[in-house]
Amino acid sequence: MKYIVIVKPKKAILDPQGQAIKKVAQNYFKKDIGDIRVGKYFEIETQESQEIVEDLAKKILSNDVIEDYEVIKP
Amino acid sequence: MRVAIIQFLGTNCDFDCKYACDCMGIESEFVWHDEGELKNFDCVILPGGFSYGDYLRSGALAKFSSIMNAVKSFAKYGGYVLGICNGFQILTESGLLTGTLLKNTNLKFIHKDVYLKVENSVCGFAQDIEKKVLKMPIAHGEGNYFCSVDQLKYLEDNNMIVLRYSSKDGSVEDEFNLNGSLGNIAGICNEKGNVFGLMPHPERAVGDLGHDGEEIWKSLLK
Repeated sequence: MKYIVIVKPKKAILDPQGQAIKKVAQNYFKKDIGDIRVGKYFEIETQESQEIVEDLAKKILSNDVIEDYEVIKP
Repeated sequence: MRVAIIQFLGTNCDFDCKYACDCMGIESEFVWHDEGELKNFDCVILPGGFSYGDYLRSGALAKFSSIMNAVKSFAKYGGYVLGICNGFQILTESGLLTGTLLKNTNLKFIHKDVYLKVENSVCGFAQDIEKKVLKMPIAHGEGNYFCSVDQLKYLEDNNMIVLRYSSKDGSVEDEFNLNGSLGNIAGICNEKGNVFGLMPHPERAVGDLGHDGEEIWKSLLK
């Protein structure tokens, strides 16, 4: 079974990487690009249950002080 | 006094810590990350470096090393634990300290001598030096301390904030906050004061390298 886990910074967290990318993009396109936030993407191939994948996302792949995660079954 | 210096894959300040211990006349020993126990030590140091290449998040993978279970129970029973730089990141990831460390707001790796105001705190590593200003180097890309508003209040109410970035005369202002840390925080401890994490490097301000770092090491001798 394949799962995708997306980890992204919580809304309240300042994301300096996203802001740096946004600045470059705005200079390149010469227009307001909107908001860009940087997260992480994981592809997981496993025979384990979705519960285990959720646990993996929660306890290892993300830090709940600063990040939210989402488990997707494509 | 016997100190354990933990070596993870990617730790690179282990010998600096040993140098500092030697300078201060403290007996120390390296302990490999896959050891399961800490026997006959009075203090454990998690040195700086880039454990597991900083993959995933700084300190996120090191927290699963077998030695960390031993460090957790060592701390639980009142043993002294000092986390420097990457060691601080490992302590926050492990839940032994509150909050986390984000990328520096300017996205740069900052290597510079800074001034640090020692706050009144419960920290066992910073007794009798409150209100002093110490000069030590920082060397990190992810030292921007962050926690929730409630957590910050908890740290303040319980005197768990130990060091803040400041001017030479101890004034805590934004301009001295090089990495964007919340409230200029450079170091915090736990409720009991036996677990201390800081981004600056006291082991690089000892002996031939300076004397301000010695204040932290001296506390081990008390």
